[in-house]
Amino acid sequence: MASSSGSGGVGVTRRSVLAGLTGGLAASSGCLSRIRALIGRNRPRTVSLSIKTLPVDQDPYAIAIARQVSQWFDAAGIRANIQPVTAEELYRQTLVNHDFDVFVGQFPGAFDDPDAFYPLLHSTYSVESGMQNPFSYTNLSMDDLLEQQRRETGDSRAETVSRIQRRLVQECPFIVLGFPRVIRAARTDTFTRWPGVFDPSPVNLLTLDRTDGSATRLRATTPDKRPMANLNPLMAAYRGPSDITDLVYDSLAYRYRGTLYPWTATNWEWTGEDPLELTVTLREDLTWHDGEDLTASDAAFTYDLFRDTSLGRTEGTAPTFRFRGRTGVVTDTTAVDDRRLRIQFGDCSRQVARRALTTPLLPRHVWTDRTNEATLSGVDVGVATTEALVTPNIPPVGSGLLEFASVTQGQRLVFDRFDDHFMERDSETGLPNALTDGLPFEELELQFVGSDASSVDLIANDEADVTALGVGPDLTSTIGRADDVSLNVDHSGSFYFLGFNARRSPLTNPRFRNTLARLVDRATLSESVFDGYVDTAVSPLAGTPWLPRDLAWEASDPITDFLGSDGQVDSEQARKAFRAAGYQYNEQQRLLQ
Amino acid sequence: MGVLAVFLEVVAVLSLLLSVSLAVVVGPDRLRAALTDLQSRIYMAVRPIGLLVGVLGINSVVREDGVDVSWIIGTNITRAIYTIEGTVVATIQSLVPGWLTLYFGYVYVYGYAFLLVFPLLAGLLAGERRYLRDTAFAYVINYSVGMLCYLLFVAYGPRNYMPGLVEPLLFDTLPRFQLLTSEVNANTNVFPSLHTSLSMTVAFLAVRDHDIFPRWTPAAVFLAVSIVLSTMVLGIHWATDVVAGTALAAISVWIVSSDRLAAVGARWQSVTEAVTARWR
Repeated sequence: MASSSGSGGVGVTRRSVLAGLTGGLAASSGCLSRIRALIGRNRPRTVSLSIKTLPVDQDPYAIAIARQVSQWFDAAGIRANIQPVTAEELYRQTLVNHDFDVFVGQFPGAFDDPDAFYPLLHSTYSVESGMQNPFSYTNLSMDDLLEQQRRETGDSRAETVSRIQRRLVQECPFIVLGFPRVIRAARTDTFTRWPGVFDPSPVNLLTLDRTDGSATRLRATTPDKRPMANLNPLMAAYRGPSDITDLVYDSLAYRYRGTLYPWTATNWEWTGEDPLELTVTLREDLTWHDGEDLTASDAAFTYDLFRDTSLGRTEGTAPTFRFRGRTGVVTDTTAVDDRRLRIQFGDCSRQVARRALTTPLLPRHVWTDRTNEATLSGVDVGVATTEALVTPNIPPVGSGLLEFASVTQGQRLVFDRFDDHFMERDSETGLPNALTDGLPFEELELQFVGSDASSVDLIANDEADVTALGVGPDLTSTIGRADDVSLNVDHSGSFYFLGFNARRSPLTNPRFRNTLARLVDRATLSESVFDGYVDTAVSPLAGTPWLPRDLAWEASDPITDFLGSDGQVDSEQARKAFRAAGYQYNEQQRLLQ
Repeated sequence: MGVLAVFLEVVAVLSLLLSVSLAVVVGPDRLRAALTDLQSRIYMAVRPIGLLVGVLGINSVVREDGVDVSWIIGTNITRAIYTIEGTVVATIQSLVPGWLTLYFGYVYVYGYAFLLVFPLLAGLLAGERRYLRDTAFAYVINYSVGMLCYLLFVAYGPRNYMPGLVEPLLFDTLPRFQLLTSEVNANTNVFPSLHTSLSMTVAFLAVRDHDIFPRWTPAAVFLAVSIVLSTMVLGIHWATDVVAGTALAAISVWIVSSDRLAAVGARWQSVTEAVTARWR
């Protein structure tokens, strides 16, 4: 909470007010107005920020980042305290309830297109919950740029995207720290070709090879308990990077190595220009896990649901917590027949429009019942939300490669391979060869393990095959020493960031945020926190052709202009910077607001 | 090693420790007497042990959903604890030489289980009714207050809060035990330290009833202090948790030692007798 505490010596004492009043009664009205001006002033308060983040058990880096950052803030006279919170709670507090000052998090999933900026930074999303503008950043000219890049193509879009990134670095609704290199331990005696199978999405498990033909179960460990409690693809608070629901729910198209391939669709065709219209044809004989047919009307229903999970039944809309950016360009969907879906788009390029095809498809017959207003045992809890946005969705009914089998005591989640899936069934899928062999296992088990050290221990002892999420860099030597275990380091598309809540003063002020950002030294974080296992960056689009050259990060870091040297904030320099931004300090050198 | 294997390992080690120590502390004479009089001694133990098992049963049910409940109603006091004590645990950890880590790891798991089970078994076998009853009731108080605190307070331990300063030594040196501890407890249940409170309870009772098991007192005190230290050395608990745990231990022993409990017990007995009399 951006709380405040009185500062010594500044303000008004009671005696001076009384003296002023008695004097003022006898005095002229000019003096009265002076008194009003004086006692009407708010006392300046010291700035104190709370940093919310995950504990070590759930994230090897987050709290270490928070601790380092809080030391830097402290050197600049800003008291910062750290609050470790469990993943589910952290993302509910930050993304849904917006109850935070600063939070250290990891972007869920890959930032695969510049249009991902749209839901994150556009002001119309600042009032929505979920992964839509959780920072409440609002800037009209940024809105224009975001809308502009949706319409543009080629060089002009690249230029607009560059401007968006420069503005982001300048105004800092959030600051990108870097893309972690995810360290995983994996057994090599049953499966091979581990690198990259979880990043950016577990759908890449299709590229895994089986060496031991008798192995039927892939056993993965995870420090994240959320999938055991909730498999609802719409709920942002439960979905992390490399999320298992990607394998339970199929989408019309899927991105593999930067190219968009038809997935549940066989193909698509642009059938109109004004408005932009796409006709998508589904594969033949698709079914859901429960045996019902998957038709174009399910797809049409899904896009309607993303827009408003109440489907217009309640007053006001209850939009989903995820996928709003990608599906926001869809204006209308019609099921032409069982296999053909017509999608109309608002003002955007084909490139942006196609991204709507990468969102999961939901079965109409399951989710229709979830469009009612959500209540607690029949009691209205005063929040306009629908069942779709609160249901844990267990068991989930999807059409993806994995079919839900069981969950045991919130510790162990098991999926069966869905043998009716077109990847398992059809010989001709039109997809890249690396994917066409289907899943090399019959069951996938996700086991919750409390810490990364014990995960690695389980893998070394052949109790598990792979750590689904990354482990800390201190375990690399343990992994290296274990027999039949390989150390895999994957580039992750999910960057770490420091998010600021622009609803709360003084974080409302871009100049303040910008100065805060200058207290963060990425080079030090890369060494002391990530132990080098990070690709340091300042923009979410680092590593893509969209990054303008002037935002490429180098060890000297000319972009953010760190207020200090060798990882130490120079207090004098920092105070000067905050004073230049219009802020003041009290005698104890604490920053005032 | 799976959870079951670790569990069996603990049970095996525990059985060995218990048989040796019972022979030494209780002594062959009292053990022989116990054998001839086993039935009545077991009968004597049924009520206190039954109560304890009942509370542990409730405890495990509450713990399953308790974490979710405490995120809703509880207060996150991690940073308050950090404000109070800062890096005390890091200092303690740095003062303990590395070769002692393994000792503390085993004490934390085996030593603790042994310390808790021993007084119950010894009391039962030696036919020490009051000792057995007080121990069981003190455990019940510890568990109940602990459970309540876990619902009301959310706190992460130092290993989760200060990586780099405090190392997660238990899981680094003996990773297999994490399976067991995470099965038993969530990582947000650190205030107060039940390891501390239960160990100190046993130590206090061992001192109080020194004349019943004279050989037990030094062993119990030594083990209890080791366990208390281990919670901090291993980076699991804050010093604040340990202080709160010790206070809880003292209170629980004070309650079972004073006459209050006897009075409540007597009233309870008269009520149950009245009820059963009516039903007859």
